[in-house]
Amino acid sequence: MMRIAAAVLSAGMALSATAASAQEWPSKTIKLVVPYAPGGYTDSVARITARYLEKELGQTVIVDNRAGGGGIVGSDLVAKSPGDGYTLCICSVGAISVAPVAQTTSYDPVKSFKPVSVVSTIPQTVIVNPSLPINTMQDLVAYAKANPGKLSYGSSGAGGLMHYSVQLFDARNGTKMTHVPFKGGSPATAAVVSGEVNLSFTNMTDALPQMEANKVRALAVTSAKRNEFAPQLPTVSETVTPGYSVESWNGLMAPASTPDSIIAKLSDVLKKMAADPEVKKSMAVVGASTEFTTPDEYKAQIAAEVEQWRELLKEIAEKKN
Amino acid sequence: MTDVFAQLGHGFAVAATPINLFFCLVGAIFGTLIGVLPGLGPVATISLLLPATYALSPVSAIIMLAGIYYGAQYGGSTTAILVNIPGESTSVVTAIDGYKMAQQGRASEALAIAAIGSFIAGCIGTVVIALLGPPLALMTQQFASPDYFSLMVLGLVSAVVLANGSAFRAIAMIFLGLLLGMVGMDLNTGEARMTFGLVELSDGINFVALVMGLFGVAEVISNLEGASVRIVNQMRIGTIWPSFSALRGAWGAVLRGTALGTLFGILPGGGATIASFSAYALEKRVAKDRSRFGNGAIEGVAGPESANNAAAQTSFVPLLTMGIPTSATMALMVGALTLHGIAPGPMIISRQPDLFWGLIASMFLGNAMLVIINLPMIGIWVRLLAVPYRLLYLVIVVICAIGVYSVNNSSFDVYMTVGFSLLGYVLRKLDAEPAPLLMGFVLGPMVEENFRRSLITSHGDPMVFLQRPISLALLLISAALLISIMMPAIRQRRVEVFQE
Repeated sequence: MMRIAAAVLSAGMALSATAASAQEWPSKTIKLVVPYAPGGYTDSVARITARYLEKELGQTVIVDNRAGGGGIVGSDLVAKSPGDGYTLCICSVGAISVAPVAQTTSYDPVKSFKPVSVVSTIPQTVIVNPSLPINTMQDLVAYAKANPGKLSYGSSGAGGLMHYSVQLFDARNGTKMTHVPFKGGSPATAAVVSGEVNLSFTNMTDALPQMEANKVRALAVTSAKRNEFAPQLPTVSETVTPGYSVESWNGLMAPASTPDSIIAKLSDVLKKMAADPEVKKSMAVVGASTEFTTPDEYKAQIAAEVEQWRELLKEIAEKKN
Repeated sequence: MTDVFAQLGHGFAVAATPINLFFCLVGAIFGTLIGVLPGLGPVATISLLLPATYALSPVSAIIMLAGIYYGAQYGGSTTAILVNIPGESTSVVTAIDGYKMAQQGRASEALAIAAIGSFIAGCIGTVVIALLGPPLALMTQQFASPDYFSLMVLGLVSAVVLANGSAFRAIAMIFLGLLLGMVGMDLNTGEARMTFGLVELSDGINFVALVMGLFGVAEVISNLEGASVRIVNQMRIGTIWPSFSALRGAWGAVLRGTALGTLFGILPGGGATIASFSAYALEKRVAKDRSRFGNGAIEGVAGPESANNAAAQTSFVPLLTMGIPTSATMALMVGALTLHGIAPGPMIISRQPDLFWGLIASMFLGNAMLVIINLPMIGIWVRLLAVPYRLLYLVIVVICAIGVYSVNNSSFDVYMTVGFSLLGYVLRKLDAEPAPLLMGFVLGPMVEENFRRSLITSHGDPMVFLQRPISLALLLISAALLISIMMPAIRQRRVEVFQE
């Protein structure tokens, strides 16, 4: 019924204005693509965002899960969609900033999209098995230097953020740790608890319950600033690796050909959303901090991240030769 | 012990919410329905309904899917007894004596004992899960990668030992499954493997597409092939309560079948079909007068029917405590849990107590519902056999296509289903069972993952598999099992069991 009403309404609009301009956007249902499976963390963030957009824009926003290839399949779909403002994406750092550097993707992280704003962020937490004589980040670097290759770290899979953040850490500190990939972040965290691996740079969401149960020892967070959910933890940057910053983000992006007026309108809505206490509360439930960036800031951030990973890979490749 | 009862009480609170009761009933009805209809088994049905469970909470979804599985054990016997058409592979042996009983005018007796046996077995099997689950899960928390590797090797070896028919074909099917499981991103390097450059394959072959093709559509094709006019003889069933003397003759068989089924359900590669065959063989062996079998012996119905239902319940034990599927149906349950973001394994009981205890409690309720659904309403189910197949199959195939598409909104998956349907049909023609293939497909990636991870953490030393006691013990059992199927005497015995 709602759909029919919406269709009639949009048909009427199309008649009254000969060409539907961006000013009248949105005049029909918006599709919000999530490049991951339903029920996951990005999906939750997307559903919170979709609900808010729906309320503010007065249009139906449907969430379309297009999982596959660690987010590449869905991101690629959005990059290739028409830039009419009716196909948007809740993209994430893995498929946008990391994958195009590490693998071949048919989209370019900077050129194929118009970023709107980061919606939420989650830092990684450096956790170690409590049986290790490592209590601070300084201890960790010293131990790793004294025992090259002996410390092992769990990751969510090769080429994922949990893998690259340690690679970056190794490169900056001149340490060498052994990579042990798992299928996803949660089993990698469980492996730190059981002692199968020594440490991991784990998503805050996965780390918090284990920290509270004293099953792991948390040393630091990887973001540039301290985190609201664990303010007692220092950052990696302030302890051993100045300038080190790795953060997992989810953000709203549109195809590159989307008109700037639509991006501006979306940006306004997201700015309001980031200040909404209800949204903040729902985000906190999934362990995320609500964020807002302007489209230009967001674009610069992605470009800087891509550059960071590109350099790291070059460095690693040179060391191998 | 008291703890178990407290937990079980919590489970009943979960299972008895209106929504979960409703889906338990839906599962039981669906299970009975497909149990009655020949040619549509629980594997195909669960794979068809998998995408539909998306909208449900994980607890309701698993309760419903489990209900389908054990519900099919009830429904399967109905048609086996009344019209000599086993609705399920698990009821094949039931038809031998059950149909004879029906011809002798003892249909009600056979139906009742099948339902009562199933109910008793289902309840006992459920108690076994409740008692065995938590300690087993606690034990498997000690498991590290090498132990998991060896456990899965044992699972694959058992799948060969317990598969119907040729062991050679079963091994071939497992390896085909392992190969299919290799497709997709390599965990350790992030490189795409055997994807032919298709992004759609980078996460591996879609599980739902594979099972729907291999089990669902392929089954439809081969059924259509033999589709002849089915004449359903309308017989009067009469009262459904058996005489006291009949019950007395059958209670031993019910208990023996329950014990055997409980055991076979827990064993990797076991499951309800093999349990029912073995129970029939056992009843024949312990009977004083063997000539009664094949001529309407009530034990020939009571034993296998109790065994298949007990096994249907207890096959959840390895899944919920170790994350290891022991049969094709349980492999589907892994898929269902994963779709809902729950990693099957020892953490389920502690992290998802609602799911574990709710499921167990729902099994008690579901079994009680099934007795009611099956006994007084038997006439309705039998009438279902009159639905023309050409209509039924059309519906099934369309639902298949919609279901596969809806998982990832991907038409590629639908094409893949078509491919697997053809493969499934060819495999059927070659007498190669697809069940071991599915075991290989599901366990293969886990085997590889744990094998490679073990070697990374041991810095390349393969002795790690022999140094850990759990791993060593599991590998020794696997080796013993493998040797046993090589030995001619045992091979002979295995063939015998399946021929009976």
